[in-house]
Amino acid sequence: MNTVAYTAFIAFLSSVLTLVSVNALSSPDAVVPSDPEGITREELARHDSAESCWKAIHGTVYDVTGFIADHPTPAAVMLEWCGRDASEAWDNKRPGRPHSSFAEGMLERFRVGRLVD
Amino acid sequence: MRYHPRAGDLALAAAVLLPLVVALPRLGWPANEAGDWLAWTGRVTGILGLAMLLLAAAISIRVPGWDRPFGGLARLWRLHHGLGFGAFVLLMVHALALALAAVPLGLPVAVEVLFPPFSRGVIWLGWLAWLAMVLFLAPTFGFFGRPRYQAWKRLHLVSAVALLLALAHALPLAGETWPWWLLGMAGLAAIAWRKLGSRQARLAYRIEAVEPLARGVVELVLAPQGRRLVHEPGQFLYLTPLDKTLAAGRGEEHPYTITSAPADDRLRIGIKDLGDASHALQTVTPGSIARVEGPYGDFYGRHPSGRHRLWLGGGIGITPFVGGARDLVARGVVAAQVLLIYLTNRRERAYYLDELESIAERLAGFSVVVHDYLERGALDVAFLVEHCPGFAEREIHLCGPPAMNAHLMRLLTGQGVPRSRIHSEVLDFL
Repeated sequence: MNTVAYTAFIAFLSSVLTLVSVNALSSPDAVVPSDPEGITREELARHDSAESCWKAIHGTVYDVTGFIADHPTPAAVMLEWCGRDASEAWDNKRPGRPHSSFAEGMLERFRVGRLVD
Repeated sequence: MRYHPRAGDLALAAAVLLPLVVALPRLGWPANEAGDWLAWTGRVTGILGLAMLLLAAAISIRVPGWDRPFGGLARLWRLHHGLGFGAFVLLMVHALALALAAVPLGLPVAVEVLFPPFSRGVIWLGWLAWLAMVLFLAPTFGFFGRPRYQAWKRLHLVSAVALLLALAHALPLAGETWPWWLLGMAGLAAIAWRKLGSRQARLAYRIEAVEPLARGVVELVLAPQGRRLVHEPGQFLYLTPLDKTLAAGRGEEHPYTITSAPADDRLRIGIKDLGDASHALQTVTPGSIARVEGPYGDFYGRHPSGRHRLWLGGGIGITPFVGGARDLVARGVVAAQVLLIYLTNRRERAYYLDELESIAERLAGFSVVVHDYLERGALDVAFLVEHCPGFAEREIHLCGPPAMNAHLMRLLTGQGVPRSRIHSEVLDFL
């Protein structure tokens, strides 16, 4: 049991370090802008379909078009919020319970800009 | 070796599975993609790992008597050890699987799942819990050698910190919180009782006499100073000597087997010089006070089968049989025949033997045979057949050094004795 525990410990450390190292050595992704572009509500509203689905969550705009098929709920749940502020839906995955940190981490991938008036 | 579940095991398994059963309707079953499977595995291992961590703490409460549904404290500690091991491994799988599940979304996302911005502190609490686990489990699993027993015990207290951090990590993320509150409170209450409450429950005894039995072996005779310990033969206790002149082990608790019969008005324990604390006890001052906590163990079991018995004892492992023989004398009846084989290297080193032979002379149904290792080599089937022809049909109790136990276990199971009829308690990591 001791050998297995030690092996698992080293394997875990190695895997995490590998993941972090490979990520650090990869070229930065150009999709996520470093200085987020300002996006107006009118511009946001134009992306209100399954072909182009943008959502504003707490002031940041995300293009989640490519994720609709992967989202655990039926597509209609996601599509309902395309082109508008979806903070309420984000904060209430179930009533009173927001999406997880895991989902938050995934969301960052889709950031396209910040909402401006 | 076949595993024989006890009533306590089933309750423990149900408790381990409780949070998962509650969460499963929400988690559902993963779709066919590898990412979904990994995310699902990450969540399930997180739930099971945390449940195991909390229950490992809960069963460390060590309330006298509560160990018996688990087959005694030695076995309960092995379950505790197994749960701690399971939690450690599963919680690492949990973190890694969740990160790998995000790889299809890009490596930065996967890394951010593990190391998010500090604003998402709840994930970092998980890391701190894991670090605390490494700190208190590394010595247990011998990652970097083994510290001394007392240092290990102090370090094991970090488990309380790990529990709190793990709960602080899980509660905001969990879909259903009540199972975590339930198991979390059980785990923390157990640690609090062990470290704060149990001291009040210890009984005061005065060390009346220290009787030498052989070189490096003594029997302590203890007189109750108030309420006396109620126990069964073959059980053990934790002794905390308070003698100020002790060179080592003062105020420390260590387990020792009770050698007196339950009916005796004095409590007797056999102590072999096996470490600093037991060495110091060889010359403990008569008249000094010691605290006693117990009894623990389930050596003879609660439900005798009515079969004849074969007792195999060697070294300091003879002590539960001394308690058993003294109990037979005190009760004056032997319901089923008992044969004790005393395994020794040299007959003159066989402490308690004179008394055991004297009991055998007086008590019909109880007999003693000495097996001399230097004269006959390791105990073999021929010896068993010669002295105990129907040994395979008996209820067998064995207690001795680890090598002796392992040899006898192999010998007996090799002769077709079912594992369920061989009873042994090894106090090696108590």
